[in-house]
Amino acid sequence: MSTLQKTAPPATPPQAGPPRRTRSQALRGTLSALPLLPPLALVVVAFALFAPNFMTGTNLENVLVASSIVVVPGLAMTLCITMGEFDLSIGATVALTGAVTCTYIRDGHSTAVALVAGLVVGLLVGIGNGLVVAKLGVTPFIATLASMVIVRGLARVYTDSRDVIVSDSTLKYLAAGRPLGIPFPVLLAILATLAAMYVAYRTRFGRWVAAVGSNRDAADLSGLPVDRVRIAVYALIGLAGAVWGIIISAQLQKGSGNLGLGFELDAIAVVVIGGTSLLGGRASIIGTVLGALLIGVIHNGLNLLDVPPAYQRISIGLLLVAALAVQAIRRRVPLEVLDDNKN
Amino acid sequence: MTTRTEGDSRATAPHPATETRSERARLDLGRAWDRWGITACLVVLVVVGALLDHSFLSLANVQSVLTESAYLGIVAAAMTVAIINGTFDLSVGGQLALVSVLSLLGYGIGGTWLAVAAAVLGGLACGGVNGALVTWLRVPPFVATLGMLFVFRGIAYLLTSDAPATLDYSEIDSGYARLGSTLIGSVPLPFIVMCVFFGAVYLFLRRTAAGRRVVAFGSSPEAARFSGVSATRVRFLVFGLLGLAVGIAVLTYITRIWTADGGTQDGFELRVITAAVLGGASLRGGKGSLVGTFSAVLLVTVLNNLLVAHGVSAGAQQMVLGGVLIVALSIDGVRSKYAARLRALFARRRAVPQPG
Repeated sequence: MSTLQKTAPPATPPQAGPPRRTRSQALRGTLSALPLLPPLALVVVAFALFAPNFMTGTNLENVLVASSIVVVPGLAMTLCITMGEFDLSIGATVALTGAVTCTYIRDGHSTAVALVAGLVVGLLVGIGNGLVVAKLGVTPFIATLASMVIVRGLARVYTDSRDVIVSDSTLKYLAAGRPLGIPFPVLLAILATLAAMYVAYRTRFGRWVAAVGSNRDAADLSGLPVDRVRIAVYALIGLAGAVWGIIISAQLQKGSGNLGLGFELDAIAVVVIGGTSLLGGRASIIGTVLGALLIGVIHNGLNLLDVPPAYQRISIGLLLVAALAVQAIRRRVPLEVLDDNKN
Repeated sequence: MTTRTEGDSRATAPHPATETRSERARLDLGRAWDRWGITACLVVLVVVGALLDHSFLSLANVQSVLTESAYLGIVAAAMTVAIINGTFDLSVGGQLALVSVLSLLGYGIGGTWLAVAAAVLGGLACGGVNGALVTWLRVPPFVATLGMLFVFRGIAYLLTSDAPATLDYSEIDSGYARLGSTLIGSVPLPFIVMCVFFGAVYLFLRRTAAGRRVVAFGSSPEAARFSGVSATRVRFLVFGLLGLAVGIAVLTYITRIWTADGGTQDGFELRVITAAVLGGASLRGGKGSLVGTFSAVLLVTVLNNLLVAHGVSAGAQQMVLGGVLIVALSIDGVRSKYAARLRALFARRRAVPQPG
């Protein structure tokens, strides 16, 4: 009985697809992450051989923590890219929310209030992006490019371009606490991954996001609340950016208007490397997690090998472009389809 | 000097036989706003600036604004072509940083000529890489150029890992340094270069077959493809033009600034796209105006000049620029989003007074 109920899609008409569509989507999403395993294994083996101290327990835990911090924003970005859109403002959101949280704590508010303030600010930034994109019809990445600059400017004005240094036990716990023996960021990433898999593959909202991503006009004509879905996804990204900002600030014990520069590239890179199609309609949650791991391992290994940070940016940029080229060539995409600014 | 395609004019032009005078007035107003609105804004801003600050219209400040607008304008002209073509380039800031470093290093090795060659060839190479990624490797332009932004900046950082590339003060009389500081009459040479570049791009779009193909591809990729336009060649051309523009822009920029590293001109891409979009280019492709971009470049530079002169902080300047872009985009977005509905409304109104 229960399997029957699960397999029957409640909101879609019968001709929309075979009954087990949700399961096959989850399967396809997971399968598209498989090509990631060989490069991941390769990188791990290479660093194990050449990078000193890579295979020590502490270092592996560091890798895990560093990767898991990108997982939460990566998952939100996965939904956004599944919808065929992008959010470039997430790095600036990191700076603003981290700064707000730290300033609240410094000014003597309780940590709970400070955390809520950070999350609310992130949510508001996200809703603002969503409104501009959905209601004013501005092309998503240009709208978020502009809001990236606005929010970044706001963060700098808010902090008066100075670091906000805090020392707070709860904040420290968020960065380095170990509930159940697992570092908090890792636990958060695991929970977020499970939640994202449920939302993307098992809920009406997840199907709506994929539907908007495969064909927005069709979704609109079949009566889906397209605008609301889009606003909700941008709101989620704002919230994820706030989580990211709070954890990064907790790690550094400070908020700063310059935090998170270039983070938008990381968030997009983990999704794209993970195999979520830029053309929309197909989410790969596990892929995003593996993508975060791959980038985390590369960052860590290059650090251990004393490679300057400039090379790391270059390598992530190239990896992103290479992953996309493989994706596009494999699917034989015609050139016209790639005009992502048509939407 | 305005470039508009058939698709756009059809969208705004009413049926000639049935239009009434008031409708024509309204639509002409809309079209006039499209064409001259940004120039009007520029005039207003200049008047406001002159009222706020008596030194704003001094010769020195005007020269400084014109010089400052040159590198932005040259790249914005090429970006307008890219946006008309239905694509764009987020990596121009990285290209500017990298090519500036290359040019300075070139000067250190082989003097003015090598510096100029390094700038132009370096720019073309950056454009070529983007073009190759977008066409042969089929990477979507948005992500390809976002990735390359970091790659170009990263390479520039590597080349300057010891110290930023600089021009020594003793070189002040060299031909290279004079490129940025020469006045012809009392007009700065960089501004003249920018005007010539705009003219050349205009002629390219209007008078050459390749330019017409770029525009045609932008208004309808499918139709262009069916009429035998090669998407690969068109896109290569567009990204090559962007690279070349960056190369020329660097010659007007670095010869005044004299120093560059990987962080040079952070956020440049946003200012360039802002100028093109304010100038009336629609990110949906097929529509854009070089006159508009020209005015918008001056507008952005004047705005910056005023903000700096009044001691507005860098963060607040960013917010103003981003806000201006969002407003400009929203106007464009709202107009395209509701254009069909508006047209239907006009059509119905026209139908009413003519029963039978």
